Amino acid sequence: MEGLFDVQLAVNGKTRTVADDATITRLLEELQINPLRVAVQLNERIIKRELYERTLLQAGDTLEIITFMAGGSS
Amino acid sequence: MRSGTALEYSVSERDDILKFGGREFRSRLIVGTGKFPDHRTMQQAHEASGAEMVTVAVRRVNLDRAQESLLDYIDTERYALLPNTAGCYSAEEAIKTAMLAREVGLSDMVKLEVIGDQRTLFPDNEELLKATKVLVKEGFVVLPYTNDDPIMAKKLEDAGAAVVMPLAAPIGSGLGIRNPHNIRIILEAARVPIIVDAGVGTASDASIAMELGCDGVLMNTAIACAKDPVGMATAMRYAMIAGRLAYLAGRIPKKLYASASSPLEGMIE
Repeated sequence: MEGLFDVQLAVNGKTRTVADDATITRLLEELQINPLRVAVQLNERIIKRELYERTLLQAGDTLEIITFMAGGSS
Repeated sequence: MRSGTALEYSVSERDDILKFGGREFRSRLIVGTGKFPDHRTMQQAHEASGAEMVTVAVRRVNLDRAQESLLDYIDTERYALLPNTAGCYSAEEAIKTAMLAREVGLSDMVKLEVIGDQRTLFPDNEELLKATKVLVKEGFVVLPYTNDDPIMAKKLEDAGAAVVMPLAAPIGSGLGIRNPHNIRIILEAARVPIIVDAGVGTASDASIAMELGCDGVLMNTAIACAKDPVGMATAMRYAMIAGRLAYLAGRIPKKLYASASSPLEGMIE
């Protein structure tokens, strides 16, 4: 069954609401992000890809999802 | 061996390979991914340049367009990825960025940039050295972007940098090799590859860097912002090969007076 309550997170500087049983994997799915092309930092700590499935998101969490973008120098 | 022109053939015949961080490259040109008119042009320019390594920035995923990915336009089997810490103004920020970049799982190399000033984009060498030491300890293959300063180059090498990347001129300026004498001094003392990063404007600049004995050149704007990026990428490819061959062949010393190329003997009287 889906989570009963929504929790608010900050994802890449923007507020986002997810179900209270949402994991990083679930969040990436919702955002249509390929997990193999990003790195995720949760509250200042880098989370290993193999832990995405098991990492539950909690109210007030701050996430950074980064990837490679076009760029040469500064 | 790739099929190609006589120029490429003679270079590859020498087994002239650039080695660092446990990797080998036949091309000595590293190309950026920024400022291209579009992804398709970038892809074609990369191909035309003959490069085997491209540099990429590390940024937040754009959540409004999360499905779009630069990586759709870079064949990671063909090109090694060199993530950079462009836009970082402290060691702490650069280290954090490098750590995240490695976590993507496509590269343990980092083109380490710690910028000291927005207008010149010159490096903050104090912070750069700090970050280099930390990242080397963390097991990264570190390629720090620095000034054309021989003392700093040495310090970075001693700190464990796999490559030292002195600038030719300010990033994006296209001014060419501003201080070839400093680059030569850096080269004389170096035990790691020296790859010029930033400032190249046109093909002859790349040749000059290679003629000086540099191990490679990294460029972005010169190709991406040329009127014809794919054409310029092709020019750069050959300029790199020409410069490298000239360096290996050994230039003649410069002399003040003429010396005839034809014999004086047998002149018609």
